[in-house]
Amino acid sequence: MADLVKASRGERLARRAAGRGPVREFLTFVLGADVFGVELARVKEILSPPPITPVPRAPREVVGVCSVRGLLVTVVDLRVKLKLEVRPDTRRTRILLATAPSGEAVGLWVDEVLQVVRLTEPDMELTTAGIGTEVSEYVLGVGRPQGEFIVLLDLAALVTG
Amino acid sequence: MADPTERARDEFLSEAQEIVETLSRNLLDLDASVRGGSIDPALVNEAFRAVHTLKGLAGLFGAARLGHLSHRLEDVLDDLRLGRMVLGPEVLDALFASVDVYGRLLTLEREGRDEPSPAAEELLTRLERLGADAPNRAAPVTEYELDPGLLAVLTEYEEHRLRSNLEQKMRLYRLRVEFDLTTIDKALEDMKTRAKRHGEIITYLPAGEATSADAIELDLLMASRDDLATLIGALGADNVVIEEIPRRRSSMMNEPQRPTHGPLALGAAESVSPVGAGDAALEQGPSLRSLTQTVRVDIRKLDELMNVVGELAIVRSALARLADRLRIEGQRQLTAELQRLHRSFERRLAEMQAGILEVRMVPLGQVFDRLARVVRQIGREMSKEIRLVITGSETEIDKLIVEELSDPLMHMIRNAIDHGIEAAARRAEVGKPSAGTIALNAYQKGNHVMIEVEDDGRGIDEQAVLDKAVRLGKLAPEDTNELSRDEILGLVFLPGVSTRDTVDDVSGRGVGMDIVKTNIGRLGGIIDVQSEPGIGTKMTITLPITLAIVSALMVHVADQVYAIPLSTVTEALSLEARMPRTLDGREVITLRGQTLQLCRLDRVLALDRRKAPQPRKSYVVVVALGNRRLGIVVDHLVGQQDIVIKPLGRSLSGVHGFAGATELGDQRVGLVLDAAAIVDEAFAGPDTVARERGHLLG
Repeated sequence: MADLVKASRGERLARRAAGRGPVREFLTFVLGADVFGVELARVKEILSPPPITPVPRAPREVVGVCSVRGLLVTVVDLRVKLKLEVRPDTRRTRILLATAPSGEAVGLWVDEVLQVVRLTEPDMELTTAGIGTEVSEYVLGVGRPQGEFIVLLDLAALVTG
Repeated sequence: MADPTERARDEFLSEAQEIVETLSRNLLDLDASVRGGSIDPALVNEAFRAVHTLKGLAGLFGAARLGHLSHRLEDVLDDLRLGRMVLGPEVLDALFASVDVYGRLLTLEREGRDEPSPAAEELLTRLERLGADAPNRAAPVTEYELDPGLLAVLTEYEEHRLRSNLEQKMRLYRLRVEFDLTTIDKALEDMKTRAKRHGEIITYLPAGEATSADAIELDLLMASRDDLATLIGALGADNVVIEEIPRRRSSMMNEPQRPTHGPLALGAAESVSPVGAGDAALEQGPSLRSLTQTVRVDIRKLDELMNVVGELAIVRSALARLADRLRIEGQRQLTAELQRLHRSFERRLAEMQAGILEVRMVPLGQVFDRLARVVRQIGREMSKEIRLVITGSETEIDKLIVEELSDPLMHMIRNAIDHGIEAAARRAEVGKPSAGTIALNAYQKGNHVMIEVEDDGRGIDEQAVLDKAVRLGKLAPEDTNELSRDEILGLVFLPGVSTRDTVDDVSGRGVGMDIVKTNIGRLGGIIDVQSEPGIGTKMTITLPITLAIVSALMVHVADQVYAIPLSTVTEALSLEARMPRTLDGREVITLRGQTLQLCRLDRVLALDRRKAPQPRKSYVVVVALGNRRLGIVVDHLVGQQDIVIKPLGRSLSGVHGFAGATELGDQRVGLVLDAAAIVDEAFAGPDTVARERGHLLG
């Protein structure tokens, strides 16, 4: 995980943030054509996709199941879940491992992992206004670090059922 | 988890639970003994001891509510065993209620909730009332001119037993028995058991004369109706001397006698052992010192061990593959050595697996005892007299399964009593005995345990079931004629349809059989129903013996590997020679003269055939569950493998047909078919999907 944190950038952000309320760290990644972020603390691991076994009859967003050192993981395609464009897998495709409240290990299939950004209150707009109602339950708000636009997702909601 | 206080608390809770279960068994025996017309005093005393121990435990762990209840119960049981209270139905009911209340209090304790339980308060009031109304206080002990020396050694309970035996004109005997110190626990129990057939052992005390360093002599005071010769015939041995204690006129022991010395030499005050010692040893000894050599283990620890065994099994498969590769590469010397190691490893692993499985096994009696209490309670609630006949309670099954069984079985029994057994008047009209019989039978059949719940009630009214299913929209009216008898009975497992035959019973008081079926299915079991109008209903549950590890047949379908638990597989055969045909819209083959319905796995699972076309040759895996057989069509048979089944996560809970997933050993995961679900689906209709969307609207 440490290598993903671009320290210089993080520090710069942190300095900027000093005295401006608590800092929250988000892991950003690409889905389709957009950049998304989830709270870093909730991501347990970033994996290169292991062999995945499809589960017949499963909901469409479930890619299948895989085993991570003996742990059975349900892999969910976030692009399907969030009704985004599905592009062919590349060598940058990753799985974010998280734990659902039920104890289920869930892997979130993403196109590419970018970096960790540190956001303070002024960088964030915690509202779901203007975002499609179908997926708004998974959205915390948007982050705008230095003019970029990141959709902040609620990981807990994404991995629940 | 390693917190010692927490662990001690867990131990306390599970020990308390065990004692409550013992108490429950005791009360059932007592209930039977009361109905048999005589009360076995030993049972009352055992119940007293159980509650006494619970009180002590509760005190140690600061479980105030538990302690308070135990204290009141102890008082009542003390009154009972000392003959100060009569054991009537009201008292027995209160005692039975205590088992449930204990259960609730233990649950509250376990959850760490310190809140009052209304049920406990109510029971305490009931017990209080019992105490106040206690009739029939026995006369004081001075009526008998017992020697003060003996009286000093007897506990109040023993004194009471002595008195009541003498009232029944029993003879008194002294048995001087020499015990080997190393085996005294068992030998004494054995002696007590044998003596019990002839009377009652009132007390036993050391005889005071040590004959050798590794033996001890005990004097047993016994009351019996039999004469001396009979007793000597029954209990006599080299190490046993039996003497009758002579009686003086109508009341015993007007004058001290000295048949010999020792504490039971009535009146021989000088050789009496210290009062406190005798009393304490008798009252508390057995409860403080366990006679059995058992260890209590958290089932999760066994699960962890089983997981390790599962991982080892994967290592074993890898070894076998390595040996195969070496053989192919012509390394004969190494291959032989590796194969020898592999075989030895395999054997030890199998032993270890069997050992752990054995530890997980518990007798079904654990759950049956609880059910016996339920039967009694429900019977009373509904004013129906029920005779419960239990067979096979020694049948063993995985502890986890036992835990999950009690609710479904309870629902089935409740339904049997409520819906099956007729009211007494109705039973008399049709010439049945007034008491309804519920039979609870368990037995092992191969890798499965069968549990039957059978009643001799009115049976299930097929027409009523059909009407209800139609009314609930579960069945199209035009389909009612197409169903076979078994299929109609199977409708009782649909939500809302019940086993009750009264059509106007809209409220459907019975607990849904659909829930029972779901719960049994979750354990990898299936449930079948048979019923004869006017004769009775039999529900049969088929369960796997264990959930932890299973042998499975690995198969290939459309490039995917699936595991079919071997316990459900009867055989596998090649399909091509069998010439499948279509019968009633179902694909079938004929196997040894019998029709076998087929289920094409690629079709029912809607597998992608684009990259893995149907091979020319395919196979049929025949699975049998209960009395239903199904041929599952697959592309290839891969072989047999021991697998650890891991449950699929919550987000896949709506997916039917899979019991879980398992690691295949090459980093990949294979899905385990839920044979019970597949069989159910296949028999639900010729085309399940169309049927579910069409006629079966539920």
